[in-house]
Amino acid sequence: MNPDDIKYHREHAWVRVEGKRATIGITDYAQQQMGDIVYVDLPEADTEIDADSELSEIESTKATSPVVSPVSGTVVEVNEDLADSPEIINEDPYGNGWLVVLEMNDSSELNDLMSKAEYEKFLKEEEGK
Amino acid sequence: MSVKLTIIGAGPGGYVAAISAAQKGAQVTVIEDAEVGGVCLNWGCIPTKTLIASASALELVRNAAEFGVLLSGEVGYSLAKIRERKDKVVGTQVRGVKGLFKSWGVALIEGRGSLLSPDVVRVVQKDGTTMDVKSDKIIIATGSRPAAMPGLPFDGESVITSDDAVRLASIPGSLLIVGAGVIGSEFAFIYRSFGADVTMVEMLPHAVSTEDEEISEILERELKKARIKLITSVKVENVEKGGDGMMVAKLSNGQEVKTERILVCIGRSMNSEDIGLEAVGVNTGKRGNIIVNERMETNVPGVYAVGDVTGNILLAHVASRQGLVAAQNSLGGSVRMDYSTVPSGIFTVPEIGSVGLREKQAVEKGIKYRVGRFQFRGLGKAHTTGELAGMVKVIAEEETDKVLGVHICGAHATELIHEGVLAMTMGATAKDLGQMIHAHPTLSEAIMEAAEDVHGMSVHQPKKSKERSS
Repeated sequence: MNPDDIKYHREHAWVRVEGKRATIGITDYAQQQMGDIVYVDLPEADTEIDADSELSEIESTKATSPVVSPVSGTVVEVNEDLADSPEIINEDPYGNGWLVVLEMNDSSELNDLMSKAEYEKFLKEEEGK
Repeated sequence: MSVKLTIIGAGPGGYVAAISAAQKGAQVTVIEDAEVGGVCLNWGCIPTKTLIASASALELVRNAAEFGVLLSGEVGYSLAKIRERKDKVVGTQVRGVKGLFKSWGVALIEGRGSLLSPDVVRVVQKDGTTMDVKSDKIIIATGSRPAAMPGLPFDGESVITSDDAVRLASIPGSLLIVGAGVIGSEFAFIYRSFGADVTMVEMLPHAVSTEDEEISEILERELKKARIKLITSVKVENVEKGGDGMMVAKLSNGQEVKTERILVCIGRSMNSEDIGLEAVGVNTGKRGNIIVNERMETNVPGVYAVGDVTGNILLAHVASRQGLVAAQNSLGGSVRMDYSTVPSGIFTVPEIGSVGLREKQAVEKGIKYRVGRFQFRGLGKAHTTGELAGMVKVIAEEETDKVLGVHICGAHATELIHEGVLAMTMGATAKDLGQMIHAHPTLSEAIMEAAEDVHGMSVHQPKKSKERSS
């Protein structure tokens, strides 16, 4: 189930905001599309990331896929658990499978993102294509 | 009368020239100061690949459970046994070359050779006696040695060369490798497998920067996975020795790396000193490299040079080909060296194999091209062995579809690349490669798929929603 306390990006990333801290991950749809995840290439702390630019690359048994950041900011935390257990993303994409925490530069960027309902409608449209 | 040919140096340039010339009827003398087989057989290609074989056996055993193979007890290794195996392999190869010399009637003189005149080579033998070898033609194949870093002299213990590293005296707790090129990167994986904490620093923006950028990026991720730290676009400013036996390397970006041992892999120096080049007037370049033309002739008639000492492409197989060219020309032939389809093989984990143009070179030359890619993880065979990492990239000329370059990072890339070499040598198109039936299930299928992808027709790839951003 897609949670409703987070915002969704059209490239299938999500962001959960607490003050200026934005926790980012990939959606359940994304992890299902990728299949079994075997490696996550995460940025180092202090890296500056722009919205809509590549935040990470995820290797699954099927493909190597970029993860696009929904917002701009500086990396303040990365999920170290993914180094040894990348499969956490498959198991819990909205919880323990988070990727990074960014300190946001511009919270107005959140207005460009989708709500749960909008994202699910978007997925239906994508699937119909 | 047969031609008297004298060759200084019995590495892969010299020994191949010697045997080839002897087969063509020349009276050949080879002078070798160290070991027959040169760097390649004794301190380079062969011993490092033997160490890599031990390291990969260790890694396979460590991953045994993935294949459902259960081990009891602890997995370990014996450095002494690994060294012993390496020495045995090297010994067999060296004896093999000596056997070939004998079989083809090549005379081997052990000692240091130098040019006295364009037709006399003086040899100082191991016992100190000198002898002069009268020659009609001379081939210089004296090779190269590891270059030292200014201010950081080698001591064989804490600051070491690749020659020292291959001896594998012990595995340090921590190892700093200066230079993330081919040699540095291969040693990084070897020492990491045996348990060292490895950091590599590189002046350029990428590891293995002689390769296509996408290939470098794949390797960089594999370094990360192996927990080998890579710091790029930095120089080592200075190294200080602490009281605790550890060294601290200060980097140009302000970072400090504390390490037990430093392996310097910043390049190689040509062995062109004290071999009589000045006496005979052989021209050398800025790096001490002997200047040769495509026929491997120096400016002095009758004197040829091949291999690393020419400073062109420092690879054993290039030296060997140059040796063949020089041998043939010294016996009255007229052949030229062609460097357009020289493959390179790097024995990292996974391996890298490449031939022809890199994408950046195609852009710089203003060539209109198309690129096809295929990831190893799209292959059934890769899944069977669990070797998913990597990619094949094919670059083809837009107008003619001719294959201009093939770049592979993935399992067995150093073997797979020869399909690309053959394609380029024969002037094949990407379409030719894609239409060729490849056995299933093999890793070679990745080349077929990448070639088909040049025209967007790779069957085992999903429809692209958009082009890759990179």
